[in-house]
Amino acid sequence: MSSESPSDPPLLRVEDLYKRYGDEEVLNGVSFDMDAQDVQVLVGPSGSGKSTLLRCVNRLTEFEGGRIALDGTPTDEMDENDLRRQVGMVFQDFNLFAHLTAKRNVMLGLRRVRGHSKEEAEARALEELEQVGLGDQADSYPAELSGGQQQRVGIARALAMDPKLMLFDEPTSALDPELIGEVLGVMRDLADQGMTMLCVTHEMGFARQVATDIMFLEGGHLVEHGPPEQLFENPRHERTAQFLDRLTSLHGGDHG
Amino acid sequence: MAERAAGTDADSASGSRARFGDRDVGTLATYLAGALFWGWIFLRWLNDWSGGVFVPARQAFVPPSLFRGVAAGVPVVGGAFEALAFAFEYAPALVNALWLTVVLTVVSIALGFVIAVPLAASRVYGRVSAWVSVAYIELLRGTPLLAQLFVLYYGFPWLTRFFRGLPGVGQGVLPGQAVFVAVIGFTLNSAAYQAEYIRGAIESVAPGQLVAARSVGLSRVEGVRFVVLPQALRYAIPGWTNELVYLVKYSSLAAFITVPELFRAAQNIASSNYRYTSMFVLAAVLYLGVVVTATNLMEYVGRRVAVPGISGGEGR
Repeated sequence: MSSESPSDPPLLRVEDLYKRYGDEEVLNGVSFDMDAQDVQVLVGPSGSGKSTLLRCVNRLTEFEGGRIALDGTPTDEMDENDLRRQVGMVFQDFNLFAHLTAKRNVMLGLRRVRGHSKEEAEARALEELEQVGLGDQADSYPAELSGGQQQRVGIARALAMDPKLMLFDEPTSALDPELIGEVLGVMRDLADQGMTMLCVTHEMGFARQVATDIMFLEGGHLVEHGPPEQLFENPRHERTAQFLDRLTSLHGGDHG
Repeated sequence: MAERAAGTDADSASGSRARFGDRDVGTLATYLAGALFWGWIFLRWLNDWSGGVFVPARQAFVPPSLFRGVAAGVPVVGGAFEALAFAFEYAPALVNALWLTVVLTVVSIALGFVIAVPLAASRVYGRVSAWVSVAYIELLRGTPLLAQLFVLYYGFPWLTRFFRGLPGVGQGVLPGQAVFVAVIGFTLNSAAYQAEYIRGAIESVAPGQLVAARSVGLSRVEGVRFVVLPQALRYAIPGWTNELVYLVKYSSLAAFITVPELFRAAQNIASSNYRYTSMFVLAAVLYLGVVVTATNLMEYVGRRVAVPGISGGEGR
């Protein structure tokens, strides 16, 4: 492999990924690379395997065929907990730990996975919450926060682990429209700071402005993959054009 | 939405403050009654164990003859004083036996809890161990507790012999061997019931939270330990209180394997004074006192550990 790529390996390499649930083929040979600081947006009709693809990357889901490598190391050779520490994930339903304050949500991984002392973890947690604009809500419980605030805590929780890559699984789909902007704003800041991000989202405004590449997934195949200008202006496939048109009319709003 | 959440918060805070004045009286009365009840019981235990510091062991602090004198002199309400005299005469012996009831309950529920948590977790998350848990739980819940006690006591005589052989058993503060067998029986049985309450609570924690814990890098066991269980145990408080209250009363089954706890003591005394109804009513009052205390205690615990969005102990 070193002969093929004299330079550094891509941050994430997905090679010929196959995944099925029972008889249903969810992913049919998906391949793509991501370099550090890339922001790739994954779009596609529901059931096209977008979430499954994300979950294969941090091995929340095991796959039948293909290879995924993070920084040149095949993920199946890594300890799964170590892999997940390096790959942050943000969920559609936030999935905050309901019995812990915002601060403690962020601290849990720092203490139990990274072995920080209580003081270190607390300082770091406050820093991360500050970063997502929630420094004043550190002692609030999830039930006391709005959806947008909860999602930002979810992002802070993932960032605290110093991930090399962040996975976003429809981070704004469960939010009221007026709360989407604050989450997209945080994601935009992250992208500006050079975070590598793989996002499943229907927010076409965000995709146009922030994405380095857009991937269109349908029926478990990567139909088209390219920079936003290409997919929006000159898509190679008719299906891509149709789908992006429809998404743009539904979710083209410039929330951030 | 943030404003709305803050608004309801302020409302409920001021609401609970307004109610606090009313509840204060009730709470105070409950505490006072509890303090009197348990103060009396602890003084009695202290007195009887030390061979009689205040009054001779097993004798009432207030002589029943005092009430008898009134009962004889007053025409209409004399019967009530006669009843008081009866209560004061026999309560000391029952309170003495109540010690074993409390020990059986507290030790068994605590040991049962230690077994129940892994049992419930393995039923939900295990593969092979899930089947072991199901088999254990269904076996213990599907057969009568009394039969389980008989099997332990009469079916395994070596168990009784083992406890009898331990130094100090049945002497001084250590109770007799039958109590140890009863504790084992209640522990094993209660663990099965507690496990089911806890399992239900585990299943009511949103599964996405465990996924999130794993996505941060926590192992499955750590995720269950630090994310699922702290919430599940809060959810389990009301059901678990139920089990505690049951166990207080089911501890009376120990009477059938010769443990001289509250029920057996009442029965023994009644068989010599033939006042069965009165003796069992007196025993029932003591059971009730313990049960009400247990319920209040668990409600207090529920309030102490309550977290916004997760209301352990509330809504009962």
